[in-house]
Amino acid sequence: MIRLALFVAVFLLASSQVSSAEMNEKRAKYNYQMFCQGCHTQDGMGGRAVPQLKGFVGHFPKSQKGREYLVRVPGSANSVLNNEQLAEVLNWMIITFGESSVAASWRPYEIDEVGELRKNPLMEVLEYRKILVAELMSENKIIKVENE
Amino acid sequence: MKLFDRFFERSARSVAQRSSRRGLLKNLGVALVGGASIPLLPVARASQGAPQKPLEEGDPSSCEYWRYCAVDGFLCQCCGGTYNSCPPGTEMSTITWIGTCRNPVDGRSYVISYNDCCGVNQCGTCLCQRDERDRPLYRSDKSNDINWCLGSSSYVYNCSTAIVVGLAFEE
Repeated sequence: MIRLALFVAVFLLASSQVSSAEMNEKRAKYNYQMFCQGCHTQDGMGGRAVPQLKGFVGHFPKSQKGREYLVRVPGSANSVLNNEQLAEVLNWMIITFGESSVAASWRPYEIDEVGELRKNPLMEVLEYRKILVAELMSENKIIKVENE
Repeated sequence: MKLFDRFFERSARSVAQRSSRRGLLKNLGVALVGGASIPLLPVARASQGAPQKPLEEGDPSSCEYWRYCAVDGFLCQCCGGTYNSCPPGTEMSTITWIGTCRNPVDGRSYVISYNDCCGVNQCGTCLCQRDERDRPLYRSDKSNDINWCLGSSSYVYNCSTAIVVGLAFEE
């Protein structure tokens, strides 16, 4: 019985990972350079009116609303990348720039998930972000805010 | 049994007479140093992807220079800066638009960041407009018609750089 339960658990784990975006690091980095870096900068520090990714982007997926936010921002939702490439570059950004902001429980974006979320892009993104960050802070999911 | 003993004894003595412990150390040293130096050979380096700096050819003050395939503006190389740096007194915009150009020397495509230099006034020298893969303004991240100095403290455009930031990914 224990063997059967173990087998089922492994099978479920394996099948859930099939739908996750598999990481092609070179392609992800290239897509970041081509479609994100122009504003978010090479090191993810951002700049004038451009939010900082470095050490911060990993906070958002700590809530479902924040997880959705990263896909619904115009740069993601309206990009020319397909769902697989978008999921891949989002995961790459969180891994590369997230640093200590990434929770241990973070799970990578999946292709279908990204495809569904990007159908509903945000319009007033800066205002939405402020509210979202305030919510995450009130839940103690963000302690320190940078580049606000 | 004695036959085996004799056979192995002779073999061992024969090896001992033909070789030395120093010889073993020498051969081992050659193998270790030689093995470690294999990654330094050009063939091995080439297989690791992009070189740190692309092989260069051409005149950076000419509009025909390979990095300028998608530029639209004054070349910083003619304005007191270089293709990598801004002229004194100007500030490099942090936001920019990014394209790819094929290097004629190695035949590879590189990702080029066309950071504008901002401040002072327009350079007015070496105007270069090649516009390869330039997109209309509705694709703002791929349009070179935008004044990218909007990301700087001064909105006055001076000239454009062409900085290689990586190797283009090819499927």
